[in-house]
Amino acid sequence: MATGHEHWHERGEIYALGALDGQELKEFEAHLASGCSICEAYLHETRETLAVLHRSLRPEAPPLAIKARIMDQIAPQTMTHPRQERAGWLNWNWWGLGIGVATAAVALVLSSNLTRTQSDLEKAKQQLAAAQVESAQKDELLQLLSSPNIRLIELKGLEAAPAASAKLIWNPVARSGILLTNGLPKTPTDKAYELWGIAGTEPIPAGVFRVNDQGQARFRMPVLGQGKTFDKFAVTLEPAAGVEQPSGPMVLLGTL
Amino acid sequence: MPADQTIAVNLIQKVANQDRDAFGQLYDRFSSLVFALAMRMLRVRSDAEDLLQEVFVQIWRQAQSYSVQRGSPEAWIINIARSRAIDKIRSIRRMEKSFVLTDDPARAESGENVESSAAESEARMAMNSALANLPETQRKVLELAYFDGLTQTEIANRLAEPLGTIKTRMRSGIQRLRDMLGTQAV
Repeated sequence: MATGHEHWHERGEIYALGALDGQELKEFEAHLASGCSICEAYLHETRETLAVLHRSLRPEAPPLAIKARIMDQIAPQTMTHPRQERAGWLNWNWWGLGIGVATAAVALVLSSNLTRTQSDLEKAKQQLAAAQVESAQKDELLQLLSSPNIRLIELKGLEAAPAASAKLIWNPVARSGILLTNGLPKTPTDKAYELWGIAGTEPIPAGVFRVNDQGQARFRMPVLGQGKTFDKFAVTLEPAAGVEQPSGPMVLLGTL
Repeated sequence: MPADQTIAVNLIQKVANQDRDAFGQLYDRFSSLVFALAMRMLRVRSDAEDLLQEVFVQIWRQAQSYSVQRGSPEAWIINIARSRAIDKIRSIRRMEKSFVLTDDPARAESGENVESSAAESEARMAMNSALANLPETQRKVLELAYFDGLTQTEIANRLAEPLGTIKTRMRSGIQRLRDMLGTQAV
């Protein structure tokens, strides 16, 4: 531990709990605002330690409708371009207009090159990020496969999608898993596939997903609540936001 | 960095670029955790649902402010959720002019309450070895601060203990968690 900071660390720990108050709170926040990297790091480390508190809670899947509500609320932002100033045009003389056009042409070429370079850079960044995600996903899959608790469940295509198939790597201890599908019909824009864990005759929603053009998906299901023992897993076609009870055709079914 | 964390970091980076698919995946990963925390802290399902929505909208808007230097994605997200929940708790408490929110029978017995009641939560906590190994006095002050949003002064008042004692218990509790989890102070 760094010396000379014990006094601040005492406050930092209570701050990380959210319990610092009064003058001590003001002083500590001012200290943080002064840019103390030691206290900043200590605060983050303390928060990571305190994570044991919320991890002790049983994860609880929220109602599916909330996700749809949030997705609606974060409507995609469209790129807007600044409005062109028109006043300058009205004041130009004709010769000025000629120079302006030439300058604009040069600027356009430069801007086009710059845009292309930026675009290439952006594309490279995206490719790198995609490669990192793919690599991390493979690591995660390997990690899951190497767990002693996992079960592999084959889901077979039913009448609505006879060519489809899927494998669910299910960890009954972690109560989560990864679904890999193949050959599912492409989903209409207002629909999505929904995975269900079935305990006896009771279906429990286990998340919605979409497939690519080959009907493939790699879907990491959310952690399901405790208290149910699943003996089957199924996939149905449902409205895009998902539903609490299955309403569409069942396309895949597998038994533990 | 664990694979899980790498995936979450990459998802947040994509969310910063307004990638809705990545946002959906991030939601799938963390919504159960945030919702459980919101239920434990607010104890009313509709409040917990509102909080969940607010937290993820904030994540969407502020994803570009995240960096790994700010901690793991989980700690960052949970910190957002706790801050908002504490604001709500304290706002309700101000309205009620009381520091006894969790003892308020109207909320505690609310009809839309709460599969995970405080008693159930405590039972689950008791099963958690790290928490179970804390002395009761330390565990209590950590829970009152972390889940009930009480400040050190409010905890001292509630437990009728000197403020210095409460601070010592909090720090000792955190230090003991560090020792048990093998995390190293900076």
